[in-house]
Amino acid sequence: MSELSTPFRERAAHALDDRFLQQALTIATTKFIGLRREAFDAFPDGDALRDRARQIKEATLQRLDEHLEQLIDNVERLGGRVHYADTADDARRIILDIARRTGARLAVKSKSMATEEIDLNEALLHAGVTPVETDLGEYIIQLAHERPSHIIAPAIHKTKGQVAELFARELKREVAADPEELTRIARAELRQKFLDADLGITGANFAVASTGTVVLVTNEGNGRMVTSLPRVHVAVMGVEKVVPSMTDLVVFLAILAKSATGQKLSSYTTLVQGPRRAGELEGPDEFHLVLLDNGRVRQIAGELREALYCLRCGACLNVCPVYRQIGGHAYGYTYPGPIGILLTAMLHGGGAVKDLAHASSLCGACAEACPVRIDIPRMLIELRKGNVERAVAPGPEQVVFKTFARLLTRPALYRLVAPVGRLLQRPFVRGGGIRRLPLFFGEWTRTRDLPAIASRTFSERWRDLEREGRR
Amino acid sequence: MTDRATFLGRIRTEMRKTSGLFPATTAPRPSHPRLIADTLRRELAERWRDTLERFRTEFERVGGVYHRVSTAADVPDVVLGIAHERQARAAITWHPSALGTDWRAALTAGGLATTAMPAAGVGPPGERQALRDLIAAADLGVTGVDLAVAETGSLVLLSGSGRPRSTSLLPPYHVAVFDREALVESLGQVGVFLEAWHDGEPAAWRGGAINVITGPSRTADIELTLTRGVHGPKEVHAVFVDGGLRG
Repeated sequence: MSELSTPFRERAAHALDDRFLQQALTIATTKFIGLRREAFDAFPDGDALRDRARQIKEATLQRLDEHLEQLIDNVERLGGRVHYADTADDARRIILDIARRTGARLAVKSKSMATEEIDLNEALLHAGVTPVETDLGEYIIQLAHERPSHIIAPAIHKTKGQVAELFARELKREVAADPEELTRIARAELRQKFLDADLGITGANFAVASTGTVVLVTNEGNGRMVTSLPRVHVAVMGVEKVVPSMTDLVVFLAILAKSATGQKLSSYTTLVQGPRRAGELEGPDEFHLVLLDNGRVRQIAGELREALYCLRCGACLNVCPVYRQIGGHAYGYTYPGPIGILLTAMLHGGGAVKDLAHASSLCGACAEACPVRIDIPRMLIELRKGNVERAVAPGPEQVVFKTFARLLTRPALYRLVAPVGRLLQRPFVRGGGIRRLPLFFGEWTRTRDLPAIASRTFSERWRDLEREGRR
Repeated sequence: MTDRATFLGRIRTEMRKTSGLFPATTAPRPSHPRLIADTLRRELAERWRDTLERFRTEFERVGGVYHRVSTAADVPDVVLGIAHERQARAAITWHPSALGTDWRAALTAGGLATTAMPAAGVGPPGERQALRDLIAAADLGVTGVDLAVAETGSLVLLSGSGRPRSTSLLPPYHVAVFDREALVESLGQVGVFLEAWHDGEPAAWRGGAINVITGPSRTADIELTLTRGVHGPKEVHAVFVDGGLRG
C-alpha cells in the first residue's frame, strides 16, 4: 500500500540522487518505448483496435451489473465459488478463510497488482501461510523486502550484482552475478515451491462473463504453474476486469502485449475455467474468484470512471517524464506512474494524492500511449481542482495565489503595487530571477525560479513609447 | 461479509447515476459460433499453404524451432533428433487418441523412454501423484495443437483427458505436432474458435484450461537481459505434418 513515513518530495529527491536507479530507469523505459512503437508500427490495425477496445471498456461499464451476474453464474455453474470484497480488508479475510479451511501452509503467487493492492502477503504470513512470489522480478523484490517499482518490470531498480547478493544470502552459497545463472537458480528454487504449494493465488488480466473464464497473461509460465499444480486456486480481480465475451477478449489480447513489452502476444495466455474437470490430471480441486471493489464502484459515476478502463500494461509509465526521473517507489503507493496517481486516488481518496496529482507535467504522453486512450491528464486536473476546492493546498500558497489573481484583474491596483514589489524583491534577485524566498515561501522556490519584476513594467514602457512617437 | 445481492445492488445504484462517457457497444459476437467456425475451417483449408508460411515466419520470430515432415510416421525421427542433441532421456506425450497417432514404440525403440498420459478417468490420488512426478521429471513433452496462429506464431492447446496441462509446461523441451487442420490466420479467427468451443455443452474430454503459447518461457526481469526457460520450456518446437495426423 503506502510508504508514507516520508513525504513525496523527499522520496522523489532520494530517487533523483540514486545514480543506478536513474540509469536503470532510462534504459528500461527507453527500451519499452521503442519496442512498443515497433509493435504498433508493424500493425496497421492497431489504432482501430484501440478504439474498439476503448468502446468495449465503456460499453462493459454501462452494463457492468449484467456482465458480473453472468460471470458469477458461469463460475458457479462450473463448480467454482465467488466471493465479494468491499474493501481490501474483506478480501484479505476471504482469502485467509480459504487458506485456513483448506489447511494451506504454502502459497505460490503469480504476479498480481490486485494482491499487492490488498497487502495480501503480510496477512498470509501473519496467518502462518508462507506466500512465495513466482514472477522472477516479484521473487527478487520479495527477497529484498521491497515493493515493485514498475507495473510489468517490478525489479528494474536492482542490479544483477544486488540480485546475486540476495540469492547468495537466501541460499547461503556463492552466486555469480549473471542473469542466465540467476534465472536458472530461481527456476530450480521455485519449481519445488510450485510442486509443494497448497494454494495458488493469481490476479486476473481479464474475466470472460459469457464463459466464466479467468485469463492470465505471463511470459514466464508461472501463471500456468499456479493454476495447474496447487489443489486450491484463488483469483482476485477488480470488478472492472470483466469482459463480455471471447470475441471481446481477443481485441484486448491483440493490444495488451504490444503496449506492455512490444510482443505480439506474451508467451503464455492462460484461460482457466473453474476447478479441475473429471478425467483431468491437473488443475485445482477448488476454484475461488474474489470480486474486489475497494473504491472502484463509487467511481462508476465518479470523476475517475475512465481510469476503470485500465489494462495495467505500464505503457504510460514508460513515456511519463516524471516517472522516467523518479521511478515507481517515489510515488509511495501500489500503482506508480500517471495511471497510478488516478488509481491511488480511487483506492485511498483524492486527499492521498494532493502532492502526487502535481507529479505530472500534463504533457499528454500518457494518454497518447494508453492502449484504451484513457485521458489521464484530464483526470489529474480534476484531482488538482478537487484538492483546491477541499483546500488541501498549503494555506500560504492559497493566500499568495488569491492575492496575485486579485492584482492581475485590477489594473489600477497592479500599477500601484508593482513599484512596491520591485522594492521588496531587491534582496532576493539574483541574475534577473528570484531563486530563494524566505519563510514558508522558501518551500515554493526550492524547486522553482520566479522571474523578477522588471525594472519598468510593460505599461510604463508603453507610455514612454507613445510619448516618443508623439514627439 | 457482503453477499451477492448487496454487492451488485451497490453497483446498480452507482450505474443509475450516470449514462456513461459516450455511446458504446461491445464487439459483435457470432450468433451460431459452431457453424461459423466450420465455415471458417473450410475457407482456411483453401489457403493453408500461405497460412503455414506466415506461421513459420512468426513462430521463428518468437523463438520457436520449426520442422516439417511428410507423414505422421516421420515424426518420431524428428523428436528423437531433438532429444539426442539435448541428451533428453525421458519423454511424456499426450494420449495417442488426443495426438491422432501412437509414437510410443518408435520413440522408446529410439532410446527415449516415453510414457503416454492416460486417455481418461484418472484413478486414485496416488496414481495422480505418480503421473505428476513423471511429468515433472521428464525432459521432453510431446503434444498436439488445436490451433496454430499465423498472425502471432502461437500454438493454442486445449487441456483435457489425455492432454494434461503440464505436458507443455514442466519439461524443458516442448515438441508440438500439427497439421493443416490447425492453421488459422489471425487472432480474430482464434476468437471465433474460442466462441465455438464454449457454445453449448463441451465434449466429455474437455478440461478447464486453454493455453495460447507464443514461443518459449521467457523473462527479462534482471537488467532487461532476455533469458529463456524461467519456469516453462526453454525450447518450443513445432512439427508440421503434410500428410495429416489422423489419416
